[in-house]
Amino acid sequence: MTRYLRLLGLQLRTSALLAAQYRFDFFVDAAISLFWTATAVVPLFVVYGEETRPGIPGWSFGEALVVTACFILLQGVLDGAINPGLQAVIDHIRKGTLDFVLLKPADAQFLVSTSRFMLWRVFSLVTSGIVFGIAFHQIGHGPSVLGVLTALVLFAVATLLLYSLWILIISAAFIVVKVDNLTYLFSSIFDAARWPSSVFRGAVKFFFTFVIPLAVMTTFPAEALLGRLAPMTLVSSIGGAFVFAAVARRIWLRSIGHYTSAGG
Amino acid sequence: MIRLSGLRKHYRVHKRPPGLKAALKSLFKREYEIVKAVDGIDFSISPGERVGFLGPNGAGKTTTLKMASGLLHPTSGEVTVDGHTPQKRENEFLKKIMLVMGQKQQLMWDLPPADTYELNRAIYDVPRADFTKRLKELTELLELGELVTKPTRQLSLGERMKCELAGALIHGPKVLFLDEPTIGLDVSMQVAMRDFIRRYNEEHGATLILTSHYMDDVAALCPRVIVIDKGALSFDGKLEDLVTQVRPEKRLTLRFSAPVSREQVAELGTIVKHEPAQAVLLVKQSAMNAAVAKALATLPVQDLNVENPPLEEVMSELFSRSRAAREVA
Repeated sequence: MTRYLRLLGLQLRTSALLAAQYRFDFFVDAAISLFWTATAVVPLFVVYGEETRPGIPGWSFGEALVVTACFILLQGVLDGAINPGLQAVIDHIRKGTLDFVLLKPADAQFLVSTSRFMLWRVFSLVTSGIVFGIAFHQIGHGPSVLGVLTALVLFAVATLLLYSLWILIISAAFIVVKVDNLTYLFSSIFDAARWPSSVFRGAVKFFFTFVIPLAVMTTFPAEALLGRLAPMTLVSSIGGAFVFAAVARRIWLRSIGHYTSAGG
Repeated sequence: MIRLSGLRKHYRVHKRPPGLKAALKSLFKREYEIVKAVDGIDFSISPGERVGFLGPNGAGKTTTLKMASGLLHPTSGEVTVDGHTPQKRENEFLKKIMLVMGQKQQLMWDLPPADTYELNRAIYDVPRADFTKRLKELTELLELGELVTKPTRQLSLGERMKCELAGALIHGPKVLFLDEPTIGLDVSMQVAMRDFIRRYNEEHGATLILTSHYMDDVAALCPRVIVIDKGALSFDGKLEDLVTQVRPEKRLTLRFSAPVSREQVAELGTIVKHEPAQAVLLVKQSAMNAAVAKALATLPVQDLNVENPPLEEVMSELFSRSRAAREVA
């Protein structure tokens, strides 16, 4: 365990070195982060813009803004910590350089997942913090300590879920040639997480709760912050995330067993 | 150290004739064929041996190396390396081996090689003192100097390859799988790499399997060669024996102090080239002594040279023979 923590530290150091090589990226990323924050918030103004519009049932403007802040935060985690390493796997598979990863005496899933972080994306923490601030200002009171702690647990659950979903997509790269399409599809679907899950009905709601659990990722942490999350929902979210992670791990191991390498 | 028995790797490959009709048909009904990349190979290699692994493109060399290093799972048969089954990818096994592929690189492109080495040190659990000592040794042997602190993208191909090799050896492996390690390098760099590999083998007693299309690599490094073609073993033995088997003749070059006619030279062997002042002949090894004695006694010989035919020619002939045999079959 300590060995892997040490390795994680070293991988972060490597990413920091890379980030320092391209410091211009910091300014670009900061600008992009602000832009995406704006695009994440604008639809809410459309929905809640006029008093005649009903908004989202059960969610005031401030409450819906909490979901948006959760979305911005998670998007930052996805773009900064999950996407870069796993995107690199696709390149590795195409170029055949995954060989080098698989020949290392350490867990290959760990090595690829931690191979690259986009540290500048930490800027999303700042922008989501601003949106959280505005949201709770609108609501009129801040979250409780228990609410914040529960939300932190749910963010960890959401990160695990996102990561597991990505591992499942990346595992497809061992079989499908153009996995890019799948990653675009997933990014588009993830976009739906900016809305409280109650906007979805029927089969779509089922899909976004159990198949691609977007509700768990942003709506549940928001509900925890707003102090209205049922304890059973928390427990089942944690359980569900671990099942997802176990399935993803199993499929990853099967996939690398079928790895055929490239070239030569 | 390395033992392969009945090793096979078969792939199921989608097969389709050209054309739109066939493409549309293949969407619903696909035909497959089995490609036998490696089809029953047996050999064993002792600790410290240097073995050249030869064969034409698509012979199955790289597939075999990948099975021996644990990257690919064999369809059937067995491979063991120092008592380990490679496909299990046990950490203990992975720490003993290295694989260098001339056409692929593991160094991080935007960072200096030193950063990749540091990461490898942690992954391979190399104690700091051993790492420092080994890096110093590799830096001296490969004359890396300042290269390890320059971003990889700024290095030339040769410099990068030297740094790749150092990165692959930082954990002190006992088994070296080298797949075309000198590809694309200029002649002086090839010589430097060969010298280094030989020294590493001698000093560390490492076992080495080398595939290369440069026969000079093989001649300089590998007393033993294994030839495979179409996934099957076609020769395993000393390099000289392979040469003798494929080309039983040696090349006799004669330079004359006075013009000599073609007829006079023809008595000695098969003429490859003839000029009044020089002749190149192919002479059976068993008849070489007599031919040299006769030339010295009857012709105005100023200088003579006896040598094996170039290895490239030997291999080219070997591969074209096996191609012809396949076509007949």
